[in-house]
Amino acid sequence: MEDRPLDEPALIERAKRGDVAAYERIVSEHQTIAFRTAWTITGSAADAEEAAQDAFVNAYRALGRFRSGAPFRPWLLRIVANEARNRRSAAGRRQRLAVRAAGERREDDAVPSPESALLGSERRRELLAAVERLGEADREVIVCRHLLELSEAETAAVLGVRRGTVKSRLSRGLARLRGELEAGGG
Amino acid sequence: MAELERELWALGRYVEYPPTPALDRPVRERLALEPAPRRPRLVWPRGRRAAALAGVVVLGAGATAYAASESVRDAIRDVLGLEGATIQRSDYPPPAPTQRRLALGEPASLAGASRALAFAPLVPSELGDPDRLFVRRSVRGGELSLVYLPRPGLPRTATTGVGLLIGEFRGDLLGEYLHKIVGDATRVERLRIDGSRAAWIAGAPHFFFYGDRGTIAESELQLAENVLLVERDDVLVRIEGALGRAAAVRIARSLRPS
Repeated sequence: MEDRPLDEPALIERAKRGDVAAYERIVSEHQTIAFRTAWTITGSAADAEEAAQDAFVNAYRALGRFRSGAPFRPWLLRIVANEARNRRSAAGRRQRLAVRAAGERREDDAVPSPESALLGSERRRELLAAVERLGEADREVIVCRHLLELSEAETAAVLGVRRGTVKSRLSRGLARLRGELEAGGG
Repeated sequence: MAELERELWALGRYVEYPPTPALDRPVRERLALEPAPRRPRLVWPRGRRAAALAGVVVLGAGATAYAASESVRDAIRDVLGLEGATIQRSDYPPPAPTQRRLALGEPASLAGASRALAFAPLVPSELGDPDRLFVRRSVRGGELSLVYLPRPGLPRTATTGVGLLIGEFRGDLLGEYLHKIVGDATRVERLRIDGSRAAWIAGAPHFFFYGDRGTIAESELQLAENVLLVERDDVLVRIEGALGRAAAVRIARSLRPS
C-alpha cells in the first residue's frame, strides 16, 4: 500500500482507467464508513460485510457514470445503502446498537472531546436505548447524522431522500427522541 | 446546537460497532479479472446545456420506484452515458413488457403546444404535420409527442402500434432522466446529423425507463423498437419506429421549428 496522502480525485481517475490498485486505496479509505453504514441498515455484521463488499465492486463497475470532481462518498454510500437494504428484508433480528463501557472510546477517537467527556455511561445507555425505541425512519436519520457523523448530503444519499427531507426528518426524529427520553425519565 | 444534539454527537464516540472487516483485498481480488469500468462518452461541444441526450415517449417519473433486480444490476455495463440519459448494456435485460400503452399527455394543437412548452416544437418537413399531438406538462419544460399513424413508408410499429412516434423535450432541464437497457444483440451507434450529435439504437428490442438515480419503476419499463436520439440545440428528440437508420436520419434532418 502506498503511504502517501490520498488524492482521491486522482485515484478515481486512475480507477476509471482500470487501475485496480488505485481503487483498492479508495476502498481502504472508505471501508469503515461503508461497513458501519451497511451495519446500521442490516443490523448484521455478516450482511453488512457482504453488502459493503458488493457495493465497492458495483461502484467500481459504475465508475464510468461517476462525474469527475463530484463528492465520492455520498455516491458510494448510496450504493452501499441500496446493497444493505437488499439484504435487510431477508435478514433476521437486527443487532442493536451498543455503547462501550465507561471510560472506553472508539479507537479512532484519540482525544476525547469535551462533550464526550461529559457524557456519563448511564446517560449513554439511556440515550442509546431511546434511539433504539424510535421508528426506523427516525432512528436511521439520527444514527446517520449524529452517530455516524455523515453530512447532510451523505445522509440524504443513504436514506434515498432529498436534503430537505433529511432536515425535516431529523427535526421530527429529535422531537420524538426527546419524548422518549422524557417518558423514560431522561 | 441543542443539548440533546451535543449529547448525540458525544454518544457517537462510544458506539460499539462490529470490527470493520478488511474489504480492500477481497474487492481487489474480485476486480482483478474485470475490464476497466470505462464508459464511452459523447463529448458535447457546449457543456451542460448541450450535454443531455435523451428521448421521451410515454411516461412521467411519478410512480413508486424500486431498484433494478440484483441480477440485472450486476450485469449492466454502461455503453453510453450522458447527463440527460444513460444507455447500458445488460446480459440479463428486465422482462419485456409485451404491450406499451401510449399515455402521452393531453391532446393539443401545434399552436397550443408552442405556448405550453419551453421550446419551439420541431416538426419533420419530410412527414408534415402529425396526425396526433400531445403535451405533457408534468415534465419540466414540457414534453411534446408527435404521433404519425401507419401509412406507406411508416409501417406499424409493434411496440407502439403507430407508424412513428417523435418525442421532444428540453434535455438540459432534466438531468439524468432517461435510461436505456440494451442487450448484446442491440446495436448502439454514434452519429452526427448535420453537426448535431445523435445515437442510433437498433437491431433488437431494448428497454427504456424514466427514473431517478438508476431505479426502475415497474410501470415505467417500456419496450422500444428502433430509436434515433438526436440533439437539436437544447431540445432532445427521440424518433421511434420500424424504420431503418437512413429513413430515421432523413426525418431528423427535416426537423424544423413549427
